[in-house]
Amino acid sequence: MEFSFSSSASKIAHSTAFASLERGDVIMLGVACVLVYLAIWKKFEPLLLLPMGFGCLLANIPKSMMASTDSGGLLNFFYQGIEHEVLPPLIFMGVGALTDFGPLLANPSTFLLGAAAQVGVYTTLIGAVFLGFNMQEASAIGIIGGADGPTSIFLASKLAPHLLAPIAVAAYSYMSLVPLIQPPIMKLLTTEKERKIKMEQLKPISQTVKIVFPIVVTIVCCLMLPGVTPLLGMLMLGNLFRESGVTARLHETAETHLINIVTILLALAVGSSMTAQSFLQWETIKIIVLGLLAFTFATAGGVIFGKIMCKYTGGRVNPLIGSAGVSAVPMAARVSQKVGSEADSSNFLLMHAMGPNVAGVIGSAVAAGVFLSLFGDVSSMDTHAALAPVIGNPEPGIQAIATVVDAIKQ
Amino acid sequence: MEASVPAAVNVSILAISVIFTVLIILIFTIKTLVKLMPYQALPAAPARKIVLSAPEQDDQVAAITASLAAHMGKRPDEFRIINIQSH
Repeated sequence: MEFSFSSSASKIAHSTAFASLERGDVIMLGVACVLVYLAIWKKFEPLLLLPMGFGCLLANIPKSMMASTDSGGLLNFFYQGIEHEVLPPLIFMGVGALTDFGPLLANPSTFLLGAAAQVGVYTTLIGAVFLGFNMQEASAIGIIGGADGPTSIFLASKLAPHLLAPIAVAAYSYMSLVPLIQPPIMKLLTTEKERKIKMEQLKPISQTVKIVFPIVVTIVCCLMLPGVTPLLGMLMLGNLFRESGVTARLHETAETHLINIVTILLALAVGSSMTAQSFLQWETIKIIVLGLLAFTFATAGGVIFGKIMCKYTGGRVNPLIGSAGVSAVPMAARVSQKVGSEADSSNFLLMHAMGPNVAGVIGSAVAAGVFLSLFGDVSSMDTHAALAPVIGNPEPGIQAIATVVDAIKQ
Repeated sequence: MEASVPAAVNVSILAISVIFTVLIILIFTIKTLVKLMPYQALPAAPARKIVLSAPEQDDQVAAITASLAAHMGKRPDEFRIINIQSH
């Protein structure tokens, strides 16, 4: 083969990604840089926004084969982890290993605050339908109000995979903005006197209850809402590693190395789905606006229910802990502590706020389960995928049983 | 399901009822568990009292004085340790 200098130079020039760069790619490269900037210089959820922003950067370089849709590309392999529900449940396992359910067990009525904060999910659902989204899409958008990244990704990948990128970005961006979004709403809805309420010290809980709790939650919730088993089951398994006291190595791995590795894979995979085709849509702007609405209503729902509990208990519950009912563990609990200590510097609400905070994690997972039961493909959940061919065509199964029976006879 | 605002309101009411039901079941389950398996404080470990002989105590005072002096950037004779308690 003969090469002339000019034809070779021309060939190299045409093979560069510059030749294929379009306006949408340039805008998305800008969006990626903004995410990286927010992560590094503004410290907005850097553990997630940095790999997510960089994944977006890689995905929007033409010919790089790094978009989630580029079959055979590196990030396409990572994206399989979202598509096949692997990564969000593994994150939940790490969260379970990191979470102490003690404050929730010591004051179980705070579960109600975790439920009340889910109001944000449903007001957003109604808003999304009003803006023209269908029910599946609206459910996936509404769950942003649960302030739980893995749950948002899990539900979006099942109900509205085409909206995964904007939903994930909105969920994580607003989670990082919890310290800015929540305090004005909390102060608006509470009086100075309510913010100064000091709560009784939490009672200690026996270790046996802490061990039995994850098993009971798995049985109760997963039997009622089987669609949410991957998330809730892994959350509770991680917590059982922590509380059982016999799996120290597994606990340590789940709460450190595993969650870190999976976070990198998940964030890169989400970033790789942020291509110009999927992200530069009017829907993205609508989702960003609805996400803010979701967080606002979730916070307000929790605080208002906190006020009701305050009245009902004769002033023994500080309504500020209600805002921690949005999951965002432990940031939302820290915000409750901060606003409470601003009113009275000797007021320590952190441990009390951890109760509704972890209840919010369970509440948002339950909310996702309800959506899956209503709008998910429930028929596909009837049989395990691996067993479907055997059940669909019983002959191989019968043959296998016959073989085993023959072997026993011999 | 048809996507309309009334349908979304119905779904919301239904879903929030399910969430409250599930979480109320969990509240009662926890209350039962806590009643059945109450917390029992571990018996306190007997306090150990270490009686040091005079030369041993002098060595410790010297070591602590030297560490504190290095930490505070002062000369050892600028402060005096007057009490060491072991628990």
